[in-house]
Amino acid sequence: MIISPLLLVLAGALVGAVVIGFVFSSAAHRGLLGAVLGAGAGALGSLICMLPLDYCMFEAERKSIDVIFGVALVGLGVLLALAPVAWLSGKLLRRESLVSATSQPTQGTFRHWWIALPLLAPTLTILVLFLYYPSVETLRLSTMLSRLGARREAFVCVDNYTRLFEGSAYFDVVARTVYMSFFIVVLSMAIGLLIATMAYLPVKGASIYRTLLVWPYAISPAVAGIIFLLMFNPTGGIVNYFLKNWFGVRPGWLNDPSLAPWTIIISSVWKSIGFNILFYIAALQNVPVDLIEAGAIDGAGLLRRFWHIVWPLLSPTTFFLLITNLTYAFFDTFATIDYLTPGGGPLQSTTTMMYQVIRLGVDNNDLGKAAAQSVVLFLMVIGITVLSFRTGGRQVTYGA
Amino acid sequence: MKKVIFAMVMMALVLALAAPSGAIQAQDPVKIEVWIAFSDYRLDWVKEVAEEFNAMFPQYQVNIVGGMSYEEMFAQVSVAAEQNALPGVIHFNEASTQDARDSGNFKPIAQALGDRTEVNGLAIDFDDIIEPTTAYYTLDGNWTSFPWNTSSAIWFSNMNFVNAAGFDTPPATWADVDEYCAGIMALDNAPEYCWTFPNYGWFFEQWLAQQDALFVNNDNGRADRATEVAFNSDAGLAIFNWLNDQYDKGYLYYSGAQGGDSWGTVDQAYQTQSVAMAAYSSSDTTLYTRMGEENGFTTVASFLPYNQETGWTGNLIGGGSLWLVDGLTPEVEEGALTFMIFLSNTEHAAAWHQLTGYVAVRESANQMLEEEGWFAENPNQTVAMQQLVQSTVTPATSGALVGGFPAIRNAVTGATDRLFLTDEDPAGLLDKAASEANVIIEEYNLLNAP
Repeated sequence: MIISPLLLVLAGALVGAVVIGFVFSSAAHRGLLGAVLGAGAGALGSLICMLPLDYCMFEAERKSIDVIFGVALVGLGVLLALAPVAWLSGKLLRRESLVSATSQPTQGTFRHWWIALPLLAPTLTILVLFLYYPSVETLRLSTMLSRLGARREAFVCVDNYTRLFEGSAYFDVVARTVYMSFFIVVLSMAIGLLIATMAYLPVKGASIYRTLLVWPYAISPAVAGIIFLLMFNPTGGIVNYFLKNWFGVRPGWLNDPSLAPWTIIISSVWKSIGFNILFYIAALQNVPVDLIEAGAIDGAGLLRRFWHIVWPLLSPTTFFLLITNLTYAFFDTFATIDYLTPGGGPLQSTTTMMYQVIRLGVDNNDLGKAAAQSVVLFLMVIGITVLSFRTGGRQVTYGA
Repeated sequence: MKKVIFAMVMMALVLALAAPSGAIQAQDPVKIEVWIAFSDYRLDWVKEVAEEFNAMFPQYQVNIVGGMSYEEMFAQVSVAAEQNALPGVIHFNEASTQDARDSGNFKPIAQALGDRTEVNGLAIDFDDIIEPTTAYYTLDGNWTSFPWNTSSAIWFSNMNFVNAAGFDTPPATWADVDEYCAGIMALDNAPEYCWTFPNYGWFFEQWLAQQDALFVNNDNGRADRATEVAFNSDAGLAIFNWLNDQYDKGYLYYSGAQGGDSWGTVDQAYQTQSVAMAAYSSSDTTLYTRMGEENGFTTVASFLPYNQETGWTGNLIGGGSLWLVDGLTPEVEEGALTFMIFLSNTEHAAAWHQLTGYVAVRESANQMLEEEGWFAENPNQTVAMQQLVQSTVTPATSGALVGGFPAIRNAVTGATDRLFLTDEDPAGLLDKAASEANVIIEEYNLLNAP
């Protein structure tokens, strides 16, 4: 199956013409102008991904999965081009302000818009150097056969991506990452809230054990990893020493494929719980006491007061912690995994997406494949964050 | 007049600025940075040697940087090379030899030394280096890196268990191991498991070399660049079948840890007497002997047990060597060479061996230790050396040279993991690991072959 570049550009133009034409005609009855504008944007959009890749996935000897990838990338490019055009033209045609009402400045503004640029320059410079440039470089590497320390690189089109769809190995890694991250986030936040609620109670010496509770967070992941390794080692570890003496069992904490992920989950939860406690204690201190007292006078029990008064007031903190914990579970569990189950666990049972990226890139020196997997990981985290802002973000109550 | 005064003042200023800095430059020692892939007591020892070196050669100042593993070191060096921030000397493990040779970042030692027999008054004397190390690190008789830490895989036995089971000496063959384990596991105070080893590809390579079987084609990559692995042979299958049998019988303990960081789990199992025997690197002979002394048992080191069906040809080396960065200034290069020779001179080779259990890479050092009575007092310490000396040097026992070796090891390690934990067919697992490894080699050669 051969699809010519011209055909793809025309397809992009067609989609653009229809979409923007529709936007224009619904707003100001000038559909033709919109269609022409949209056709241009769509045609250009179809080139965004294809110019750097040179339509490589449509070459004659390519497999159909490459073609599907190519069409998807053309679609992505068209989408990237059309979204701002549609948004902008919609706003302009309805003569709406480009700045949303909530972010309208309430106090003084700069006389000239360009004054903002030098003020933003330091931040932008750092972002470009350390974030945007590496991201673009990662995208480029992901289309290469590239090894650390090698003399040259070879262009391999989207092979580094399509090979992820061969067999189920990569899907297993993704499923495992989601599984482990879910339990790390939920357990860490739930237990953190429980402990914070108790530590918040006015008892003697509260400040001392509040400090002690936050301690695990201050320990470096590597040290935490070694502590847990010595404790959970199936032979010679202290946990199994006691379990054997008391219950006569010796679970394979680190060498049983079904148990090893849970050892990682437990130690990651322990590691991150201090952070959650810290934020929940701070949030609990901000819950107005008179609200709770009013609830108590009205006859609401402890649980009812918590569920109907405290929990909604904690929601901004919960939402913030949800995002930070997710980031932690996805990106920062590497050291824990590497110390407890070096090599990614029995039957790769503790190999998360992040762990696999580092293992491929650093241990195997295979930069191209590692880059492709890190792009996938990046897209997934973006997706989850957007999703949580869309769903969870709506239920957040700011202010009492 | 004003102009003259101005000129004189300027002159004086220029002189004042130039003179002292010139004087300082003349006295300033040449700085040489050395990256070592250790982070424990072994790194401390190298730092002590560097201090000794700096005192002896005040014109140089060697600075030791450590804390990286072998795998991290390779990545770090590749990044540093891109940024032109390489140090003077780098320590790589034996598996990185082909990658380092291909990288173009290093100057072959033979080329840097030329015809010289000494540097800064220190004799080089490559003829004094033991044969297995020479066989591994030379290319057509020329040294590409400088020999330093050489080890071999050996066997440690907790003699309390072995004797209790009715045996006087450690097991010599795979069949012996099986027999010993049957006895040991039948004891009243039997350990949890009979034996263990780190799931690191190096051990598979050792058992392969013992059977005189190749790891990669083209005479283990020594006749020509390796293009395919050769380990999915009868010899390789024999190893997998034996290991699988040992695991299924409950003799072999598998900690689940894989790769270069799997050593620690074996230490803990052996130290707590959860296993009676362990295959390990000779690099920790001193530590393993002491573990026994401190925990009330006797450790005896012996040759790594071999396949009785095919006999024993020999074992290969492990450890690492020192690489000279290319493009250094002549002074730095001279200093770097001097330090490498200093680090592996007779006294230091002997002291390094005594501290760790790595083989003393110089014949003269072994002779010195022999005369001092060290080997007679510490019989465990002779085992690795004897195992290497008695080995027949063949392409198989010289060890493999292949690009992407660390990644290939991970493929073997992964297959071993599946061997223990699933019911998959050993031959199928080996073939799958081989095809994974072949992809690595093919891609590596595509990017690196000249």
